[in-house]
Amino acid sequence: MSLLSVEKVSLNFGGVLALDSVSFQLNRGEILGLIGPNGAGKTTMFNCISGVLTPTAGEITFEDQSLLGLKAHERAARGIARTFQNLQLWRTMTVLENCKTPMDALGNRGIVSDALRMPWATRAERAGDERARAVLHVLDLLHHRDELAGDLPVGIQRRVELARALCMRPKLLLLDEPASGLDAGETEHLADTLQVIRDRFKVSILLVDHDMSLVMRACHYIYVLDFGEVISTGRPEDVREDPIVISAYLGEGSGAADQAPAAGNGRKRTKSQGGTLESDTLPEREPLLVVSGLRAGYGGIEVIRDVSMTVGVGEVVACIGANGAGKTTTLRAISGVVRPSAGRVMLDNVDITKKTSESIVRLGMVHVPQGRGLFPKLTVDDTFALSAYSGKAGGGLDAVYEAFPALKDRGSQLVGTLSGGQQQMVAMARALLVKPKLLLIDEMSQGLAPAVVSQLFERLSIFKQQGIAVLLVEQFVDSALAISDRVYVFEQGHVAHEAVASVLRRDQALIASAYLGTAVDVTSTGGEEPRELEPGLMDELSVKLPAEIKRALQERALQEGKDTDTLAMELLGGKAKK
Amino acid sequence: MGSISELVADRRVRMVGGLLALVVAGILPALSGSIAIRADASFAVIFALGILSVVVLTGYVGQVSLCQATFMGISAYGTAWLVNSGVNYWVAAVVGVILAFGLGVLVGIPALRLRGILLAIVTVGVALSFDVYFFQDDAFAWFNGGGGGWGVDGATLFGLQLDAINPENVLHTYWLLLAVFAVVAILLVNLHDSGSGRRFRAIRDSELAAATMGVNLTKYKLLGFGISAAVAGIGGAFFPVVLGRVSSQPFSFFYSLQFAAFAVLMGVRFVPAAAMAGVFMAFVPELLIRLSGAMHVEISYDYFSIVLGALLVLQLITAPEGVWGDSAARIHHLLHRNKRVVAEPTKVITT
Repeated sequence: MSLLSVEKVSLNFGGVLALDSVSFQLNRGEILGLIGPNGAGKTTMFNCISGVLTPTAGEITFEDQSLLGLKAHERAARGIARTFQNLQLWRTMTVLENCKTPMDALGNRGIVSDALRMPWATRAERAGDERARAVLHVLDLLHHRDELAGDLPVGIQRRVELARALCMRPKLLLLDEPASGLDAGETEHLADTLQVIRDRFKVSILLVDHDMSLVMRACHYIYVLDFGEVISTGRPEDVREDPIVISAYLGEGSGAADQAPAAGNGRKRTKSQGGTLESDTLPEREPLLVVSGLRAGYGGIEVIRDVSMTVGVGEVVACIGANGAGKTTTLRAISGVVRPSAGRVMLDNVDITKKTSESIVRLGMVHVPQGRGLFPKLTVDDTFALSAYSGKAGGGLDAVYEAFPALKDRGSQLVGTLSGGQQQMVAMARALLVKPKLLLIDEMSQGLAPAVVSQLFERLSIFKQQGIAVLLVEQFVDSALAISDRVYVFEQGHVAHEAVASVLRRDQALIASAYLGTAVDVTSTGGEEPRELEPGLMDELSVKLPAEIKRALQERALQEGKDTDTLAMELLGGKAKK
Repeated sequence: MGSISELVADRRVRMVGGLLALVVAGILPALSGSIAIRADASFAVIFALGILSVVVLTGYVGQVSLCQATFMGISAYGTAWLVNSGVNYWVAAVVGVILAFGLGVLVGIPALRLRGILLAIVTVGVALSFDVYFFQDDAFAWFNGGGGGWGVDGATLFGLQLDAINPENVLHTYWLLLAVFAVVAILLVNLHDSGSGRRFRAIRDSELAAATMGVNLTKYKLLGFGISAAVAGIGGAFFPVVLGRVSSQPFSFFYSLQFAAFAVLMGVRFVPAAAMAGVFMAFVPELLIRLSGAMHVEISYDYFSIVLGALLVLQLITAPEGVWGDSAARIHHLLHRNKRVVAEPTKVITT
């Protein structure tokens, strides 16, 4: 009876279960959030709804009719529009043309009458033009109408995508990461815009985003996905405090969950500390890596802004923060994989900002990238030999095998056939061979079992004893904090807090807020109980009931273990006529 | 309103400009009495149609094809075959164009799955197999006329004699071709600016977005291939009357390559660029050979290929939108120099 209903949808990607029996309901007029850590299956779910992917099992219905078996353009004709995480505007067309296209695609005018400029074609063209201008006006884009979409800044392109989708006059709008690449102010503005859009264009919205502040602010109701499964549902304020959700974001069942309800105050508390480190002061260290004012991004989207940090000689520093906060990009900008657009990186008093990656390696800084960056078709021995060759000293293999005994018997095995944990060991061992002063390690524990992860962290503490400095990006926050000296907390592309690791470990609330966002406006979500219900058929109810009321009804039905229809009938006191 | 730049973009200015070009193109070959030059002028228009077919397919829909000369050939052979079977020339020509449209749709089917280099290779296969077997092999003599191809005496239109022998009649053929080209060009410009054209261009810029915004990819890709092949086929249908015979040489893979290369050189997204490219393709080799005669140097047709190759490299570096595209953009830029548009800052609410 909902506008969009997803029933036990599963999707298999060559053996990997990307979606595992996911179910959710979206009511008419609702802004529904679909959140979850990276790889949770959010965008996959989106692609299943809009017809880009076909689920292996399950059912998706829209207005009580199955969507499966319909092609993407047929689903568009039913009233489903979407935007894209990586912008998919028609770049060589003007903004106005972009907005007119979906309308005349659905109007399906003849190609012959178009070429001959028949009167009816011209009339339809004029009508489409007016409608597109009206939508552009509402989104404050009218003055860009004659510019090529590809020439516009990214923030505006995102708005044009929104306008283009609205021009379809959709009933359901799917927004895939609309806040990516926007700063905090723009994100807040976007949340308000979404409310305006819902009211003005009478659309329901399904929203996927990493940016918790947007989801918490804009959505009426939230489903949380992790590893392709729905792990939690509820109103924004409930979901934010749900221990299961917090642990999914933090990557382990940490104590963070217990103290999470205090999350809202976390930020203020650290701010009042003014960045001074009261207790647990650390010994003064000579700075090894000094990063100042670093900015970088990809293809015009600025991902990190004004990142400044230092790593002392022999110090272990962790970077934590939500997905998309800019941690990985920071590492890449430091090691020269991504060219920074501004800022400076000094290693051992040498400016390495403009140096190539390989010369940076010779200066003693090695980057172990996310996904490990190994050569799957080389044997373990060859991998080490290659590294020893490109490094300066070619330090003995014995030391490596001593540090990683598990690799000893595997010298002639192809790297691609090793387990994930062994591969990570090879990547770290390879880095050790060039005798680095500083090791950058990105998402060391990604995709690994907890037992393997704890082994890897043990290795890291050995590095630390040997005086090798480590800059670490890690999702397993607790383990990372345990071996680190200091921590930088990333939020939306910049360093939000800097703290001594042992201090931060005690302040779980702050950690939770870094991952789940603090910008919750409780008033934006209405939690009213149904007051007065018009008698009538459930069909009519589901169309006419405000989404908030219907959602409350569904929640109560769930609590009482009844189905929604029965509950509604009960509340109506049996006055409804069949 | 009212600035020169806006006038340039104005439809009326485009029409007047096009009409002027048409009149000049109509008069110039008439000034020379030579059959060779008048026939070359006709070939320029036929080549322009071939290049126009690339503009539709690659410039509008963003698909790759290296068998445009094959579409032209199927129409030329079809026309000549039917004429030799006693069918009226113009009826035969229409059938020829329909044949080309059909073959275009067929070739478009792999494009529903393949794109880029893989699609290009499929079309190369089509071009080579038609060139070597269907257009030349005696097994298909009923269609290709056997060894020497077909001979065609000429055609009449409203009492006007069109053939490849009499200078007057050659000129008439040329004028008819020119008029047909003008009509096709206008229809294609209309198409470009219309809803259907936007759907084509949407497929070119992002198939994913086009599909999810309601564009039926299957229909419009096949239509794109069909229309493109038909445009090439219109050129092909005139081949028998312009040359007086049909043989396989002008429909070889090499010509398909040239069509693609010239379209890219002059500007693959622009209809006027196709006209420019047609003139270039028909006259520059001739000019080179005459020049070499005057200077007593041995210059063969191969030099033309070298020149073309060098020009393409130069163009891709300096004018990626093609000679026409980039000149138009530069003129536009010059006219706009004084009123540079400053991007307005985005409205941002910060609290």
